[in-house]
Amino acid sequence: MSNLNDFKTRLKIAKKKLENSSKDTDSSRNSSSMGSAFKLSTDLVAHVAVGTIIGFILDSWFDTKPWLIIIFFFLGSIAGILNVIKTAKKMQEKE
Amino acid sequence: MATNPMHQFQVYRIGPEINIADIDLSFTNASLFMLLSAVAICGLLFLGTKEKKIIPGKFQLISEIFYNFIAKMISDTAGSKAKPYFPFIFSLFMFVLFCNMLGMLPYAFTVTSHIIITLLLAIFIFVAVTVIGFLKHGFGYLKLFVPSGVPAVLLPLITVIEIISYLSRPVSLSVRLFANMMAGHTMLKVFGGFVISLGVLGGWLPLSFSVALTGLEILVAFLQAYVFAILTCIYLNDALNLHH
Repeated sequence: MSNLNDFKTRLKIAKKKLENSSKDTDSSRNSSSMGSAFKLSTDLVAHVAVGTIIGFILDSWFDTKPWLIIIFFFLGSIAGILNVIKTAKKMQEKE
Repeated sequence: MATNPMHQFQVYRIGPEINIADIDLSFTNASLFMLLSAVAICGLLFLGTKEKKIIPGKFQLISEIFYNFIAKMISDTAGSKAKPYFPFIFSLFMFVLFCNMLGMLPYAFTVTSHIIITLLLAIFIFVAVTVIGFLKHGFGYLKLFVPSGVPAVLLPLITVIEIISYLSRPVSLSVRLFANMMAGHTMLKVFGGFVISLGVLGGWLPLSFSVALTGLEILVAFLQAYVFAILTCIYLNDALNLHH
């Protein structure tokens, strides 16, 4: 039984050490910020692409070439930029 | 042909040709590597949960690390309401991670470097999240497209922008994973080709680049699986806790 108690105290000490060390290293935050960098760059492109595709489809539906594709290209760009601003604001709030 | 950097992405048939109702269902190298990663995941988790010790062995330790990692990620990003979706996100993360990592082995095929695989995963997530959102909130889920505190004049414009934003989720999710994996593997192959063509005298520089890139690619392989899973959590969070 004493063996188990001894193990428990050792586990407690080890856990404490782990908590302290995890506070010091910011490797996890580093990788997640790299992840959000990937997210931001592809999001911007994807929004423009999706906007343009929607414009293209609507154009061929309503026979209004090329007006809707132009409008939706700009709407997609606006959506992409707004999205990047929103994500950047969220990232700043976290810090 | 072997020096063509795009040759590694070719899908070819293994074994007999299977045609069912004019659809080619043959077993390809892509299917083989998907199967391999599924078997590897099951094997790892089976070995990890076979003996439940207080002091974990190697396999148990790895399984526990993965479990804790995903559990923490879900509770951090999507809250406690997302707990029932843990099995889905866990299998998604493990599948993408193992496909990416198996692709890093020499002569291996990278399943996630094909857009059809990643797009299918992303569309499945997109449809699932939309269905969950409508089931949880009914038509109130459409409030996601109408943010509060916007002047009435701008509302139609903002709604269209929000819809574009919502529809671009599967595209950005799939393109990110596919493009990263494909670009990385092409780059590795190009530098490998330089080593061959420059020979013993000049090949050392591209070789060192190749070694560094391999390290970077392993980081990217892990990071893309992580991003894929965390974005699924974020989308799930939008569907579960509507706060717009």
